[in-house]
Amino acid sequence: MAQAAAIGGAFEERGASRGGGLARRRARIAFLLCLPLILLVLALVIYPAFYSLHLATLNKSMTRFVGLANFAFLFKRETFWMVVEQSVIFAVGAVVFKALIGFVLAHLVHRLPQRGQRAWRGMLLVPWVIPPAMSTLVWWWMYEPSYSALNWLLAGMGFAPVPWLGDPYWARFAVILVNVWYGAPFFMIMYLAALKSVPAELYESAEIDGANAWQKLIYVTLPMLRNIIAITVLFSLIVTFANFDIVRILTAGGPRDMTHVFATWAFKLGIESNDIPLGACVSLFMFPILGIAAVFILRDVHRRSRELAGVAA
Amino acid sequence: MTKWHLSRRRLLAGASSAALAGSVYGRARGAYGAGKLSVGFWDHWVPGANDTLTKLARQWAEKEKVDLTIDYIPSQGNKLLLTIAAEAQARSGHDILAMNTWLPGSHAERLEPVDDVMREVLAKNGPTNPVVEYLGKPDGHWRAVPATPGSQMKGPASRIDLLKEHAGIDILAMYPPDGPATPAAEQWTWDALLAAAEKCHKAGFPFGIGLGTTSDSVDTWGSLFHAFGARLVDEKGDIVVNSDATRAALEFAKKLAAFLPGDAIAWDDGSNNRWLISGKGALIFNPPSAWAVAKRDAPHVAEKVWHHPAPKGPKGRFGPYLPYYWAIWSFSPNKSAAKSLLAHLSTREAAEQLVAASQGYDIPGYLSFNDFKTWNEEGPPRGTLRHYPPTEDQILSIAAAPAPHKIAEQIYNQATITKMIARIVQGGDSIDKAIAWAESELEGFMRG
Amino acid sequence: MLRPEVAAPGAVKVASGDLRRQRRWALWSAYACLGLFCVFFLAPPIYAFVTSLKTSQEIAALDGNPWLVRDPTLANYAALLGSSTFLRFFWNSVKVAVIVVAVTMVIATLAAFSLARMRFFGSTVLATGVFLTYLIPETLLFIPLFQIFTWLRDLTGIEFINRWWILCIVYPTLTVPFCTWILIGYFSSIPKELDEAAIVDGASTLQLLLKVFLPVALPGLIAATIFAFTVSWAQFLYPLAFTTSIDQLVLPAGIVTNLIKGDVFNWGQIMAGALLTAAPPVLIYAFLMDYYIAGLTAGATKG
Repeated sequence: MAQAAAIGGAFEERGASRGGGLARRRARIAFLLCLPLILLVLALVIYPAFYSLHLATLNKSMTRFVGLANFAFLFKRETFWMVVEQSVIFAVGAVVFKALIGFVLAHLVHRLPQRGQRAWRGMLLVPWVIPPAMSTLVWWWMYEPSYSALNWLLAGMGFAPVPWLGDPYWARFAVILVNVWYGAPFFMIMYLAALKSVPAELYESAEIDGANAWQKLIYVTLPMLRNIIAITVLFSLIVTFANFDIVRILTAGGPRDMTHVFATWAFKLGIESNDIPLGACVSLFMFPILGIAAVFILRDVHRRSRELAGVAA
Repeated sequence: MTKWHLSRRRLLAGASSAALAGSVYGRARGAYGAGKLSVGFWDHWVPGANDTLTKLARQWAEKEKVDLTIDYIPSQGNKLLLTIAAEAQARSGHDILAMNTWLPGSHAERLEPVDDVMREVLAKNGPTNPVVEYLGKPDGHWRAVPATPGSQMKGPASRIDLLKEHAGIDILAMYPPDGPATPAAEQWTWDALLAAAEKCHKAGFPFGIGLGTTSDSVDTWGSLFHAFGARLVDEKGDIVVNSDATRAALEFAKKLAAFLPGDAIAWDDGSNNRWLISGKGALIFNPPSAWAVAKRDAPHVAEKVWHHPAPKGPKGRFGPYLPYYWAIWSFSPNKSAAKSLLAHLSTREAAEQLVAASQGYDIPGYLSFNDFKTWNEEGPPRGTLRHYPPTEDQILSIAAAPAPHKIAEQIYNQATITKMIARIVQGGDSIDKAIAWAESELEGFMRG
Repeated sequence: MLRPEVAAPGAVKVASGDLRRQRRWALWSAYACLGLFCVFFLAPPIYAFVTSLKTSQEIAALDGNPWLVRDPTLANYAALLGSSTFLRFFWNSVKVAVIVVAVTMVIATLAAFSLARMRFFGSTVLATGVFLTYLIPETLLFIPLFQIFTWLRDLTGIEFINRWWILCIVYPTLTVPFCTWILIGYFSSIPKELDEAAIVDGASTLQLLLKVFLPVALPGLIAATIFAFTVSWAQFLYPLAFTTSIDQLVLPAGIVTNLIKGDVFNWGQIMAGALLTAAPPVLIYAFLMDYYIAGLTAGATKG
């Protein structure tokens, strides 16, 4: 029962067959049921977003309308392009690793005897359940230049201490590492359930056809999981791109602004340097980038769902 | 018709009884006739320091019959900044908020001028130090009253033993526990610091001077720039960073950075504290918070820490000072009460109590207040804070001065100075390239 | 997926010892790999726990193994649990989380029911795009939101600024989209025959929802509830921006702002506070894990 098919809905068909009046009444009820959601989003997300758009067109002291001057100004700053690049590296890098690790873990757990799975699953999901602001504090303490417990381990193994947050490239790695640590369990849990829902017959018939493990993966597992992979990747891209807490607590964007992502740089410009219009500008840049990604991925998901629905109907 | 008459009578009756009740209420309770006041003070890290301030404020509130609400807002995590930004936008919130450094200047238009309060206060206390005036009077009017809690000097805190053993510097001879600075203190120059840094680095106890973007780092290198006469933007708003003085300062910074910890560029305000407390470092630039925590956690380190003025450069001895203020929003409904409270908190007695409660951390902005007993008596080692308050031979500095306030604020908050140094030290930029980058940044700050 | 113990015993016996050894080796290497990841995932909370048992003197000392405690003490926990400030934060967090969960579940359930079963102009867009609201970040929204609350305050006379229940209005923007999305997935997997049977029996829409959907979709509801709770509990920026007074703060904003003052960090207490803050979601998750995972994933895999 694909989601898209459900959205079509038995109701609508029957409503239509009984005459337009019933369908319209059903539609009105449907709308009313959705109204709280719509109001919530309109009032507390859409309206403030448009207000921010308005803010982004003001000058620094918010007394004059300057149109797109702030955007033009940003385009000319070297730091802005660094932030774009860094945000993309952070989001894409983190999501790729999260998805990969989640996928691998899901397979590993799936292979375990049924009894043991529950315990392993439980332990592996812990990072995602701890409030991220708190776990970032712990990571920060583990990275701290003078007291790093990680460096202590490295020293014990004979390595030199790593400037986790002091060297720009290590800092980027450190930030991505924390995000991957936090997010991979989510992917694992999603893929694990998806794996369980793949019918065994498909694998059996593949084996009969002489497929080895790798081929089973590519020709059975991946196509079956394509939708869930697309959805989780999109959701994670969006959330990771907009991430604030991890970078803010660990590096505050440094060193030399080389770990700044949109949210943290917007905060620095908008709140710390008291230039709210410019901060709003920076934040707003995330929207088109993600919007495009979202449109592509969702179109793909929708098409697949419609295909499945078409097959089912 | 009848109904209308009745209701009007009832209305009048109601109104008069309310008025009666109001005055009876006021007289009988004897409380809050002068209205309500809500204050957001800076949350002091010294345990118990907030209580003294609360006591002083409540004393005043009792006397003046004001319904006082006090919040303590920490500056960590930018809580204070967020609060100020949100209240400024929404034009509502507390009546009085603590603000530091550039905040009175950046919100000047939304703050109630307090020239009247300051006239009184200055008449009684004498003048403030120049940094306090520069930051508190951004547009010719006092926009905030200098606050004692939180105001601090960011001079060096050194390990007496390590400096003596590895760098051959006897800091106690220069800044003795029982008297003013001796002529030997003239030897305490930036060049001497550089030599000492090299020796201590070789000995395994590097100086812990951060090159990050938080205020500890910015203040320190800002005072270095001033010591060399290097400015980024002058009073008129012209970009003057491309000068020989800047070059000299950057050359010096490059040499010094070679002897600092490798990840100093990522240090925040707490990193240098931890550096000192762990025993790893021979010197940091910090107010007494590091020493105070060491007293509790690493007493063997704390008893060897000495606070003293910053080194002298070609253009003088510049000491980094960071002032806090109390500012009244222009939308406050009870400005007269607010001003009265702030005047009450600016007396010498109040300042003395606050300094004592802060264990000598706070340094009030009035020059005549720099002789309180607390600093001479705090220890161990006794006298460690004797040379902490500003002395006459020091020029107090705030990084990015003398630029116009709105520009200086951005230089400060975006740490242009330390970022320039970081670009040279870590990014491999040449000095000219770094200066060129700074120029483009500064142009960006000129936005209206 | 054929697993060794699921295969018929006869099949295993027929297979060569090689295959069996191969399977066992595969299993053990799976365990080893999982073990490594477990170490990676659990190291930070364990380190936090170890640190929380140390005195600040021990934390400040550089010698010795930081992963072990030499003189364990419960002083950090005692300080927090005995502090009325911390307990206030905890209590505020509980109040906010409970209210937000209730509000979220009502809004999300109604919307998901509608979007999973019915159609109106724009419903498709709403269903698939509902979580695009996450594209608009908190750092962008909190200033305009502050304006809205001021305006509401002027309109109604109720003080919105700096009150913990302002969070109850704002958090649902973060929880409702994803919960709706989970529930849509779950509701649409409920067979239509159930609906039709109920309607034939004369059920109204409301009865259909309450008597047919909710009971069948219970795991999904529980999953959404746990998600909403976890997200509300973990919020950081909004409380930091909207609540100022100590008696209005929630965890974790309270932990960061109260245990880190100026440049003085109380690491032992911070770690203890972090663990205490993490405790409720972890405990709930531990007890309701199966529902949580089942609901979360079943709803998703149907998509």
